[in-house]
Amino acid sequence: MSTVVAIGADAGSTTTKLVGISHDGVIVWETIEPTEPRMREQLERLLATIPGSGGSAGPTVPVVATGYGRNLVDTKHRRVTEITCHATGVYRSIRSSGTLIDIGGQDSKVIVIDAAGGVVNFAMNDKCAAGTGRFLEVVAARMRESVQDFAALALSSPEEVAISNTCTVFAESEMVSLLAQGHAIESISRGLHRALARRVASLARSAGAVAPLMMSGGGAHNVALRALLENELGAAIRLPAKPQLMGAYGAALLALRRAAA
Amino acid sequence: MDSTPTRTQVIAEHKRSGGRIAAVFPVHYSRALFRAFNILPVEVWGGGRTGNAGDAHLQAYTCSVVRGVLSAHLTGMLRDAELYCVPHTCDSLQGLGSLFLDLVDPGRPVIPIYLPRDEGPAAVAFMASELRAIYDRLAELTGSRPSDADLQRAIDRECEADSVLAAMLELQGRLALPARAFYAAARSREYLPAEQFAAAGRRLLETTVRREEPAGVPILLSGIVPEPEEILDQLDAAGASIVADDMACCGRRNYAMSTNSDPFGRMAEQILGGPPDSTRGVAVERRLAHLLSLASARRVRAAVFYEVKFCEPEAFYLPQLRRGLEEAGIKTLALEVDISERPSHQIATRIEALLETLA
Ligand code: SF4
Repeated sequence: MSTVVAIGADAGSTTTKLVGISHDGVIVWETIEPTEPRMREQLERLLATIPGSGGSAGPTVPVVATGYGRNLVDTKHRRVTEITCHATGVYRSIRSSGTLIDIGGQDSKVIVIDAAGGVVNFAMNDKCAAGTGRFLEVVAARMRESVQDFAALALSSPEEVAISNTCTVFAESEMVSLLAQGHAIESISRGLHRALARRVASLARSAGAVAPLMMSGGGAHNVALRALLENELGAAIRLPAKPQLMGAYGAALLALRRAAA
Repeated sequence: MDSTPTRTQVIAEHKRSGGRIAAVFPVHYSRALFRAFNILPVEVWGGGRTGNAGDAHLQAYTCSVVRGVLSAHLTGMLRDAELYCVPHTCDSLQGLGSLFLDLVDPGRPVIPIYLPRDEGPAAVAFMASELRAIYDRLAELTGSRPSDADLQRAIDRECEADSVLAAMLELQGRLALPARAFYAAARSREYLPAEQFAAAGRRLLETTVRREEPAGVPILLSGIVPEPEEILDQLDAAGASIVADDMACCGRRNYAMSTNSDPFGRMAEQILGGPPDSTRGVAVERRLAHLLSLASARRVRAAVFYEVKFCEPEAFYLPQLRRGLEEAGIKTLALEVDISERPSHQIATRIEALLETLA
């Protein structure tokens, strides 16, 4: 394995991701685990596991932290927002300007990236769970399905029930009443994915989205959401190889850039 | 302005000296008119420790400023005020004014102020007659009738304080002060008597180190009120320097000077000659031109619109203002907040991301 020369740590609300990269910006080490309530300790523990980078004394290579818990890393490390990090990671992976849609566990972002990889504009959802990965987690769990299986059900349905709520609490009760009215779980699932896609699409329009569209974050793995977003925005979505790691990867690239400066 | 007395101290002192207190709600009114009757206007903008007792009495889509003001009333925080003054700034405050007419005990008068939704001589004449009507109301309440000369003296004192505030705003971002300290000083205009504000402001201007250039990325802050104050710390921490202010509580009350020999005309001209403001219904083109000229004079790189959720006057203007500034190469960020809540993590992220895009 090539030596880790820079590290990106993305302490998200749902999962914590760490990436180590080599001199040429290639991911040579990665880890992902559910975010624990004691985020600081978790970050310290994970940073100490990076091969050849300092052990329990902490990394000797540059680190950039991002994500919800970015301010919990040791102050000697640099902190950069998820917006810049996702843009940096995706730009390097796809090598294109365009519009990046990042659907994370607790928030969704739309980031417009220019030809040099810089952030031109961005929009984020409000602080509630509507329009985020959490919305689908909650409704899928209510149906006793995994998020992936719930998405597959949506794609298998030729019909779609109109769901008027993207508020997680209200959507859950609307879903229960639709089930009670005898609607198929497949068409309800499609309706729920549609509601989320519409919300994210309107966020994208408000940010002045331009083609091509790209996606990162855990939400990029959701096939139904991706298909319905393409349908709502009228353009194909391109994915990086590891969508969920793009925040950490971008952070590592920024750490590398800083070390080289 | 470390030695600036608190609201409680100022109110107690004014009462001890035989004066009355008026609780005044946002945004525009004439301080001089109240002071001529020895009534100290103390402004209430919600936020802070006002709590949420007002929520149960108002629709969920009422802004947090109005909810905070009602909470302050219901929890007895305004008990020292002998009268309330409610400018008809927006539908929400107008609604609150009607609620107060029912809720407030008859011994504590509620005085509305109707502001013209226009500019020009007709608007000045309307405003002057409105101020005359309030004069009559205050005369009835206090049993005194200050002369025109008394009114002009009161206006002069306020002009003096306004010119100190203008000097502070002119130097904003170049005074070596954290944003929170700057706003604490500027916003003490909301309760300090004019002469005390002017003296404290002058002291601040004399004793604060001035920088050649702002320490951070120069930004313009627009909105209604910078509450909760953590938002100011977040801007500092992200590396922004507020160099231009367009807050309703502050820069939009950087009033014009007038030499009108009729005191009512003078007060009206000063209020209506202030910077264009959404809460006075001034045309969006004038608002935009004002922001563009502020931005260019202070070499602003980004404008942060720190808006109160459900604030209709602001919401109507926002898209055009943002578009106009963006077209002039100034990045914009709109943040929507409930001033009774702590700023969310997302707010900090948006501010930091904005600054990163400018790095
Ligand atoms: S924040 Fe807006 S809606 Fe609320 S009182 Fe002020 S002007 Fe009216």
